[in-house]
Amino acid sequence: MNDLMVAKEQVRYEQKAYWRNPMAAIFTFLFPIVFLIVVGTSAGSARVPGTSLRYDQYTVVAMLTFGLIAACYTNLAMAICNRRETGVLKRMRGTPISVGSYIGGIIGSVLINVAILAVVVVGIGMAFYHLHFPYHVGATLVTLMVGIVTFGAIGVAVTVIIPNADAAPAVVNGLYFPIVFVSGVFYPISSGSVLAQIADVFPIRHMITSLVSAFESGPGSGLRPGDLLVMLAWAAGALVFASRRFRWEPKHR
Amino acid sequence: MGTSETAVDTEIAISVRGLTKTYGSFEALRGIDLEVRRGEVLALLGPNGAGKTTSVEILEGYRKRDGGTVSVLGADPERRDRDLRAKMGIVLQECAVDPYLTVAEAVTQRAGLYPAPRSVGEVIELVGLAPKAKARVKTLSGGQQRRLDLGLALVGNPELIFLDEPTTGFDPSARREAWDVVRGLCAEGRTVVLTTHYMDEAQALADTVTVIAAGRMVASGPPDTLGGRDHGETTVRFILPAGTSLADLPLPGGVVPTARGDFVEFHIAEPTSVLHTLTAWALERGEVLGGLAVSRPSLEDIYLALTGEDLP
Repeated sequence: MNDLMVAKEQVRYEQKAYWRNPMAAIFTFLFPIVFLIVVGTSAGSARVPGTSLRYDQYTVVAMLTFGLIAACYTNLAMAICNRRETGVLKRMRGTPISVGSYIGGIIGSVLINVAILAVVVVGIGMAFYHLHFPYHVGATLVTLMVGIVTFGAIGVAVTVIIPNADAAPAVVNGLYFPIVFVSGVFYPISSGSVLAQIADVFPIRHMITSLVSAFESGPGSGLRPGDLLVMLAWAAGALVFASRRFRWEPKHR
Repeated sequence: MGTSETAVDTEIAISVRGLTKTYGSFEALRGIDLEVRRGEVLALLGPNGAGKTTSVEILEGYRKRDGGTVSVLGADPERRDRDLRAKMGIVLQECAVDPYLTVAEAVTQRAGLYPAPRSVGEVIELVGLAPKAKARVKTLSGGQQRRLDLGLALVGNPELIFLDEPTTGFDPSARREAWDVVRGLCAEGRTVVLTTHYMDEAQALADTVTVIAAGRMVASGPPDTLGGRDHGETTVRFILPAGTSLADLPLPGGVVPTARGDFVEFHIAEPTSVLHTLTAWALERGEVLGGLAVSRPSLEDIYLALTGEDLP
C-alpha cells in the first residue's frame, strides 16, 4: 500500500465515523443551516453598507464561514483531543502509517464536509434569498481553501494548550466565540469601527470580507490578497507552534 | 515453546544492555538487560511504578532512552523505522479504537496499513469476536474491546507482539482463551513480550521471567528456576497428631519445626527421606498426618521475596 492509497482509505473511515457521530455533524451543518433560515428570513433585503449583498445574502456568506470554522477548527481540535486522550493517536503511531497519510485522511474528510456545506448553504441562499452564484468562482474556491488551511492549522495548534479531554470544549469554544461575535458572523460589522479593528487582528472577519468580495459582482478577480495574507499568517504561526509542541499522548497517566 | 538449539530458534529478537531512563530527577530505569530469542515469551513482572511500562515503551519506540543499547528485530526502535513498525504488534493498556466504526471496519482499516496483513475474518475469529463483527466498537463490553485490541495488534502479521497487561479485567475463562492465543502465536514462531501482575500468567506463558523493581532487574530466568526457586527449600506441613509434641517428631538435626495453630511446619532442602521417616513414625503409632502438604516455593513467593513486597 502506498501512502496515497492509505490516505484515501483513511478518508473513507474518517467519513464513516464522522457521519455516525451526530454531535460533530450538528455543529458543522445543522447549526449554520438553522441559523441561516431563522436569521436570513428576518434579516430583510436591505443592502449591507459597503457591499452589494443584501442582509439575508450576507448571512449566507457568514454561515458558510461559521460552518467552515466548525468543520475545520472545532471538529479537528475536538477530534484530535479525544483521540489523544483515549490513546488512538498513540496507537496510530505504533503502526506503519505515515504522519502524512494520517493527517491527509483527516484533511480529505474535512474537505468533503466543507464542500457539502458550501453546496447546501449557497444552495439555500440561491433558492430563497436571490443570491447569485458567486461571481468570482476562482476567488471563492481560493478563499475557501485558505480558510480550510487556516482554521485547520489553528485547530491542530489549539490542542497543544488543551490539558485534557474534559477541558476541550471550554477551551475550543471559549477561544473563538468572542471572536465570532466581533467578526460579524451574526450581524455585519461596519469597517473602521472599534469592533472591526479588534476583529481584524483575527482571521474570521478577513474570511468573511474575502468571501463577500468573491460573491459580489465586479471587475477583477474578486480576490482580496490583504485578507488572505492575514489568514495565511495565522496558518503559518499555528503550524509552527503545532509542529514544535504537538503531543501524541495524554499529559499524565 | 521449545528452545531447541537450531539456527532459527537462537536468533535474537530483542537485545537490551544497560538501559537507563530518567524523568526529571526520577530514575525510572537504572540499567536493564534483556535478551529474547525469536519465538519466545518474555514476561516482565514488577510492582506498579517499577519501570515495566517505561521499558516496554522504549522497545516499542514511544520513548527515547537516556543510556544503554537497544536492538529490536535488528533495528534501533528509537529511530522509528517504518519497516520495524510493520513487524511489531502493540497492545496498550487502554483500548483505543474509533467508537463509531464496527469491529470489522476497525480491523480492515488496520490491516490496510501493513504490507502483508492476515485475513480480517480469521483474526476476528481468532479473538472470538465473529458474532460481533458488525457491531460498533462503542457497544462492546470492556473485555470485548480488549480482545478487539489484541486482534488489531495481530492483523498486521507481526513478528513481535507487545502485550501490556493483556488479561487485566478478564474473567477466568477469557484469560484461558487469551493464553491459548498467546501460545498459538509462539507456536507460529512469533515473539511475545508481556507485562503482567499475574504470577500464574507468567508461569503459564513465559519462557523467561524478568522481575523489575525500582528500575532495576532483580532476577531473570525461566519461571521454574527464577530466583533459585528450583533450589529453594520445600515446606512440609501437617496437623500434629494428638498426644504428641514438637519434640517427639523424628526430624534430622538442624530442622526446626514451628507450630502454627494446630499445624506444624518445617522447611527442608530435600524432603524424600524425612517424609519416609515421618510417615513410618505416624503409622507405627496408629496416627495420621492430617492435612499433610508438601509444597515448593511458588513463583509468587519468589516474586514477593525479590521485590521486597510482603503479603498483606
